Amino acid sequence: MNICVVGTGYVGLVTGAVFADLGNDVVCVDKIAAKIQSLQAGRMPIYEPGLEEMVARNVGDGRLAFTIDLHAAVRQADVVFIAVGTPSRDNGETDLSQVEAVAVEIGVAMDRYKVVVNKSTVPVGTGELVREVIARSQPRPVDFDVVSNPEFLREGSAIEDTLRPDRIVIGAPNQQVAMTLVELYAPLERPMIITDLPSAEVIKYASNAFLAAKISFINAIANICEAGGADVRQVMKGMGLDSRIGSAFLQAGLGYGGSCFPKDVDSLIHTAARLGYDFKLLKSVAEINRERAGLLVEAIRKALGPLDDKIVAVLGLAFKPNTDDMREAKSVEVIGALRAAGAAVTAYDPVATDNARALLPPDVVFCDSPYEAADGADAVVLVTEWNEFRFLNLERLRAVLRRPVIFDGRNLWEPERMRRLGFEYHSIGRKPVLPS
Amino acid sequence: MNICVVGTGYVGLVTGAVFADLGNDVVCVDKIAAKIQSLQAGRMPIYEPGLEEMVARNVGDGRLAFTIDLHAAVRQADVVFIAVGTPSRDNGETDLSQVEAVAVEIGVAMDRYKVVVNKSTVPVGTGELVREVIARSQPRPVDFDVVSNPEFLREGSAIEDTLRPDRIVIGAPNQQVAMTLVELYAPLERPMIITDLPSAEVIKYASNAFLAAKISFINAIANICEAGGADVRQVMKGMGLDSRIGSAFLQAGLGYGGSCFPKDVDSLIHTRLRLGSPSGVRLACGRRAPPRIWTFLSSLRSFSTSC
Repeated sequence: MNICVVGTGYVGLVTGAVFADLGNDVVCVDKIAAKIQSLQAGRMPIYEPGLEEMVARNVGDGRLAFTIDLHAAVRQADVVFIAVGTPSRDNGETDLSQVEAVAVEIGVAMDRYKVVVNKSTVPVGTGELVREVIARSQPRPVDFDVVSNPEFLREGSAIEDTLRPDRIVIGAPNQQVAMTLVELYAPLERPMIITDLPSAEVIKYASNAFLAAKISFINAIANICEAGGADVRQVMKGMGLDSRIGSAFLQAGLGYGGSCFPKDVDSLIHTAARLGYDFKLLKSVAEINRERAGLLVEAIRKALGPLDDKIVAVLGLAFKPNTDDMREAKSVEVIGALRAAGAAVTAYDPVATDNARALLPPDVVFCDSPYEAADGADAVVLVTEWNEFRFLNLERLRAVLRRPVIFDGRNLWEPERMRRLGFEYHSIGRKPVLPS
Repeated sequence: MNICVVGTGYVGLVTGAVFADLGNDVVCVDKIAAKIQSLQAGRMPIYEPGLEEMVARNVGDGRLAFTIDLHAAVRQADVVFIAVGTPSRDNGETDLSQVEAVAVEIGVAMDRYKVVVNKSTVPVGTGELVREVIARSQPRPVDFDVVSNPEFLREGSAIEDTLRPDRIVIGAPNQQVAMTLVELYAPLERPMIITDLPSAEVIKYASNAFLAAKISFINAIANICEAGGADVRQVMKGMGLDSRIGSAFLQAGLGYGGSCFPKDVDSLIHTRLRLGSPSGVRLACGRRAPPRIWTFLSSLRSFSTSC
């Protein structure tokens, strides 16, 4: 099949590469010329395991190309995927200007029947909006259909998630249109849900919002555990074994960050309000998440005393391990609150330092190793649970610290081990290890 | 093992019948004489598939008996299960008067070491309370331990749920005490979680409250679907296929009801308030709970009444 993918971010690039790999002819479009030149030269704008090789292979075989010429790419295609960004506005509303702009251009370019597929995460009703914008933009009326086919990939495992999704959701106006997408996805042999357009749009938001709710729920339980002397990891195990609950997304910590969950939660609250429904449950989910960093810094302040003469070393800056993505990273909130309380901050991250510089206060000292960051500090705060931190030489860490105090925002270490190593150790939803 | 189960409601009766069926000697106690007479005559106070047959079989084999004599039943037992009601007060607080009354009687009757197991659904800190009440009530000091072993059975499939639970939670003060319970449950060959007492107490409430949250979540989505022209059954299917979500408890409807979810959600909200207040007596809670952690649960409550 001839496919055009508009947008070369995470979703667009991975979608294009995978469809090419399945044997389709794919053209990926972006309006930023430098990005397209870079892609044509084989350089990826994002880090994603396996992506560079997959792109190179399919470009080499002539099944994948990159262009800034949206008009030509659309004309050539049977199916056009919209995979552009849908950022949040400050009030939580989803900014659809990129989607609308692409819809206008698709309408202008359309010369024969095409299926237009929305892969961007958009509020319910956007598919209908795209249909209207395309129809309005056509120089002469040409038949077309709009389908919603939300993407569920995660950064760091995007290729694997796209090749083996839990489910493929196809929201189409009728069965015949849906079959076009079914045909495209058939080689993956994964469960498909064929439904109407608004339902497909809701599935994406509802799924992400539910996972965010699961995270906030266990974080709220962690607060109760701390106050009641229970251990949230044990509670998580006990809950997680319940087959109706499951242990995924039940790790207590600093809360969720990244480019999806905070945005999708805000957007769903906003969409609900627009439709006349006050989504109180989800507002609480967002509120619990917003408190996490502040609670940790409050605990640091209680343990160390006034922070204005203290140095705090922050380990891990990316919003999650195995990515250099700093969007909505908890480290920004934690470091902001530490600086506001007067603490000096040193920081270390295995890959996100360059991206972090732009988002963090200029006086944060970036270091090349966790030990350098901890050197002379009054406490270490673990914010992102990079695997390399599991294997830190904790004795060496203790030796360079001015005070052997660790705040573990992700419950990475065992309290008993920290006690034996002579640390004062504070974690999430567990009893602190205090100096004897 | 010699077992005494205090309380013959859903939890007590099913627990007693199943432990007898596994080969233990079980005496079930209730203070209501009419209920005990009825049970002795083979009539069940509740309808539960398979229960009547299981009770009859084990009474016939001499492994299961019913009595109103708590004193004698406790003396005979190595392990005493507390399985009495823990209703909600109007303000959401859990009424522990039945648990406390039983603890007093167990203390009075105790003549030698016993393991006292709390099977009732109780707020975090209750195990410690039971320990204190028993110790205070003993005519002379006798060693004992208190264990939390919350029950996850559902009405309508209580026997099956007790024989094949997703997990068995044992909250004990030390490994040795936990092993008594492990031994009892070993024949079921199910996953066991051995933890401390407060964590076991939280597991039960947190699990039920989470499932209530799942129901309220899909009901909120149903409202959005209605307003946005989507079909909540399709959304449920699409969400449920996500292995991190699962389709259980994603049926939109009139909200949750019954004897557990509304009560447990209220109780957990109340627990937070209590742990957060300086007058949180008798509960060894080190720190003041941060504000706001109950907004989530409070919003569940408004859902269950408004949906």
